[in-house]
Amino acid sequence: MQDWISLPLVGFPLIASVILLAFVSRTDAKMRERLVGPVRMACLVFSLVLLMVTTGMFFQYFGDISWEGISFNSYEYYKQYSWIESLGIHWTVGLDALSFPMVWLTTFLLPVTIIATWNEKNGAMYFPILLAMGGALIGVFVALDLFMFYVFWELTLIPMFFLILVWGGADRKYASQKFFIYTFTASVVMLLGLITLYFFQDPGNPLDYAGTMTGRSFDIPSITQHAFAENSEGWYLGANIQKVLFAMLMLGFLVKLPAVPFHTWLPDAHVQAPTGGSMLLAGVMLKMGAYGMFRLPLSLFPHALEYFQLVLMTIGMISLVWGAIVCLGQTNLKKMVAYSSVSHMGVILIGIATMQPMGWAAALFMMFAHGIISPMLFAVCGAFKHHYHSMEIGAMRGMAKHSPWIATSMMFSWMASLGLPLLAGFVAELMMLIALWYFLVAEGWSVFWMVGPALVLAVTAAYYLWSMQRTIFEGGDETQPPESLHGEPVPDLASPEKLAMLILAAFTILFGVMPWIGLDMMHDWTKQIFEGLIMPILGDFNGGV
Amino acid sequence: MSNLSRVEPFGDGFVSAMCPELILFAGMLALILIPNLGKGTFRIPGTQIRLPWLLGGQRFKITSDPRLPSWLATITLTAAFLNVLYIFSQGLDRTLIVTDSGKELLLINGFSRLFELIFFGALALASLASMNRLQVHGIGSKVSESELYNNRRQADFYILMVTCALGMSVVALAQDLFVLFIGLELASFSTYVLVAFLKESKVGAESGMKYFIVGSVASGVGLYGLSMLYLWAGSLQFSVLSVAFAESGTTALPLIGIGFVLVGFGFKVSAVPFHFAAPDAYAGATSPVAGVLATASKAMGMLGLVRMLLIVAAPESSDGSAIWLVCLGAIAAITMTWGNLAALGSDNPKRMLAYSSVAHAGYMLAALTAVGAWNWDATVSGDASAAAVAVMTALLLHLVVLVAFKLGAFLVLSVLESDGGASRLSSLGGLAKREPLLAVAMFIFMISLAGVPPMAGFLSKLLVIMGIVRVAVGDMGAEIADGGIYAIGDLHWVWWLALLMVLNSAISMFYYLRVGVVMFFEEPEEGREGPLPAGWQVRTAILACVLVTLLVGVAGDSLIRLCEMAAQSLNYEW
Repeated sequence: MQDWISLPLVGFPLIASVILLAFVSRTDAKMRERLVGPVRMACLVFSLVLLMVTTGMFFQYFGDISWEGISFNSYEYYKQYSWIESLGIHWTVGLDALSFPMVWLTTFLLPVTIIATWNEKNGAMYFPILLAMGGALIGVFVALDLFMFYVFWELTLIPMFFLILVWGGADRKYASQKFFIYTFTASVVMLLGLITLYFFQDPGNPLDYAGTMTGRSFDIPSITQHAFAENSEGWYLGANIQKVLFAMLMLGFLVKLPAVPFHTWLPDAHVQAPTGGSMLLAGVMLKMGAYGMFRLPLSLFPHALEYFQLVLMTIGMISLVWGAIVCLGQTNLKKMVAYSSVSHMGVILIGIATMQPMGWAAALFMMFAHGIISPMLFAVCGAFKHHYHSMEIGAMRGMAKHSPWIATSMMFSWMASLGLPLLAGFVAELMMLIALWYFLVAEGWSVFWMVGPALVLAVTAAYYLWSMQRTIFEGGDETQPPESLHGEPVPDLASPEKLAMLILAAFTILFGVMPWIGLDMMHDWTKQIFEGLIMPILGDFNGGV
Repeated sequence: MSNLSRVEPFGDGFVSAMCPELILFAGMLALILIPNLGKGTFRIPGTQIRLPWLLGGQRFKITSDPRLPSWLATITLTAAFLNVLYIFSQGLDRTLIVTDSGKELLLINGFSRLFELIFFGALALASLASMNRLQVHGIGSKVSESELYNNRRQADFYILMVTCALGMSVVALAQDLFVLFIGLELASFSTYVLVAFLKESKVGAESGMKYFIVGSVASGVGLYGLSMLYLWAGSLQFSVLSVAFAESGTTALPLIGIGFVLVGFGFKVSAVPFHFAAPDAYAGATSPVAGVLATASKAMGMLGLVRMLLIVAAPESSDGSAIWLVCLGAIAAITMTWGNLAALGSDNPKRMLAYSSVAHAGYMLAALTAVGAWNWDATVSGDASAAAVAVMTALLLHLVVLVAFKLGAFLVLSVLESDGGASRLSSLGGLAKREPLLAVAMFIFMISLAGVPPMAGFLSKLLVIMGIVRVAVGDMGAEIADGGIYAIGDLHWVWWLALLMVLNSAISMFYYLRVGVVMFFEEPEEGREGPLPAGWQVRTAILACVLVTLLVGVAGDSLIRLCEMAAQSLNYEW
């Protein structure tokens, strides 16, 4: 088994982008203009190679791996290199059914983003930064060392900061700084939680790493294993400390997710970010929050999870409802899509808070499905902005006549996002609703509560359809191009954009019709985590459906 | 750990132990003598015979070159720096310089060597960069009178750089409060003059004056404290004082004495409330000098605090922590918060960096508080003592890497100053267009100061936070494993300092990022669109800073080990 494979997966895009950037930054403006083509092609080829590698990993090309049947806290492609020995920091990497879909998603979105934003300005700098972003994101998902995890977690901020700052909209300065500071604040609190957790390890037993200054380890698998052993006899670290640490870690992840009331950075960042930035931000970066929850607090502190279950459920419900209601009032297309992301992230949180295997599988699949659908939403928004120079929902009417490609893509992605059956989003939402039902039954609550989320799905349909009606169909004089064009010829998608839309649409359908391609491993993993972690510790709680 | 060898001044082994200082001394003499070499002759009295004796008269072409002093100083400081590195690579020596009456003067061990490394490295970079900041005009050809005077001052500036390094290294080695004070004043007076060196400009003179007055008052208060300690113990030897402190340190006289001494060092690290002169001094001084103040001079102050608090005044109170703990913790908390809040509101990049340096002083004082929270004693086993070593390691690492990115940031400003000023944030405007690599370097320094991975500043800040948390957690981990039950309130209160520190890091993000935004985003100021003045020396220095910042950030293991060794050597029989 090629267990070193994750090393080039992370290192290759990062190093390639640094070399490209160093090369490009030394050239003058004229030369840079000429370099756009080669650099873009190089980045596309790099990212396609990455995609081939991860796809090969899925099809067990690199070693005989069964993605279904990875038990809790065991990892494929596991590898450990020493990094900062004196602190017990290692380059530890590994993949399981939680992280692998995210890694594949990242490598899938990279080439698609490059294609979708083929003509972005100052491309010689733009595409390498996208590549760096991809490398950092993969680093987050493969990391199995707390230090490494945090380093890549923060590293993702830097390329995204520049994407928003340099290629963003009119208010990009405010948005990029707000984005950076908001998420940075949450992450440093999370960091303090991680460090406190690190030092609560018993230095002697069983994590004795001789030769380190601290006698402790940042190794996530061994911490998880130790926490599991302690948790099954009572609260690991004691009830009070476990609750505080759980809250500190969750804060970092909830802000990244983002959940109401920590979501306000997201609409600003999205509205100002360039299309490519938005695609990666919504597609993968938000998932870092959900991924981190599964990887750390949920695995380490199941007792605290049970304690905070209703709090998380409440936050999830509020995110779902609030996101949807705010969407209704938006006049800015991109802002509406951004708030719909908040709403969908609420679905993930509800799935987690049900503490049902079905709910967790729903959350995992939602992470994946939203990672394919939301880039398409933002690609459509980007195309709209690019071609009509406006983001206002009312500014353009009767688009179906002028630009059928944009109109079709918009309609398709809107439908996917609102959860049309046979498209990827539907599967996750349906699973969440079933899990919620189980949860209500197990808690002995009235099933009447189901009305809430169901109603929200109706609201979602309402704002999507309404915005569609006002942009695509309804039009005053359909023979006249919109005013915001100032008499320029009526545009439609360029061929690369068309290609990107087709790819995204194809995969949305693929995972809607045949969800088991990804769902099987996720479902299997949640089964394993419940059998291996939750049940032994919390017993047959919630009816254990 | 090698054995401690006791050496008398100029006895066996003196030269090898004091080699870096002797290099500096030789360099200082060379700086005074070489520019004066010329065709001067000496007439034997009563005869017409003139013997050439090389001093004075018409200077040789090479010795009259005004660029000579800068090169001499840079070479001297670099040689001293390389010498210390060589000593580290050869394995550490431990030497105590004693007088024939048995008084301990200087102690050379890993701890003091590490500080020499910081001082010499910072000053070598600053002096290299100053070549472009203090321009030399009219070499060789006809020189106007003002240019001539200006060129003559070159020697003064660089001599002061070398004496500053010499004074600082004496502070690092001192084992006697008197020797320590001499070194401190040598370094301080050099910096006073260096700050006021641009006396023609209003800000230069004003800031020099302010810095001098406040600094000498602080020194005076410190000296008064020393005299009280002498009055109490009858000796200025660290060894005598620490024994006396362990016996009866909690009486009023020594505590007041220590308190006064802390004022002197508090000024050097620019801890609140002794920081008020710092922003003015930084803003008025040339940027390389301001960089020295923010790195080497601050390291000297931290060194003094470590010596005074941990070596001299670390008697236990009832719970095993030092008696100055609460006071220092409060100062640390106020210092980091005040520094960051003040930096938020400053539009002058140098003042901003000055306040950020105040904030960093707060972080380091928090680390020092954490060391004080546990018995600083190698004989005490258990995690607590190891934790104290870990915090000390973090503190040392932070001081080392601070040289890279704090000084580096000042050097970037120095390039802008040569271009016509760096006193407003808008002076940085459009730097990305004017010179992209410089803007990237500045951005790296800024996010390293803020503590964003994978920069060196992140690693050192992480280590500081880790050390504090480790002290706060103490042996609780092991006790929980044995069935102990704790709440978060049972953690030692220094944990809240760590929390304050991470929140402060988040606040500091605002102003560090703003620099990046201005550089990459805003247009250059009117009339400053063109390329920046050339000068490979300062760019070399900046490149070195960038490399260190990045390399330590991704592969800092060996440097951490080095700092750990130094921290242990402090702990192991001071």
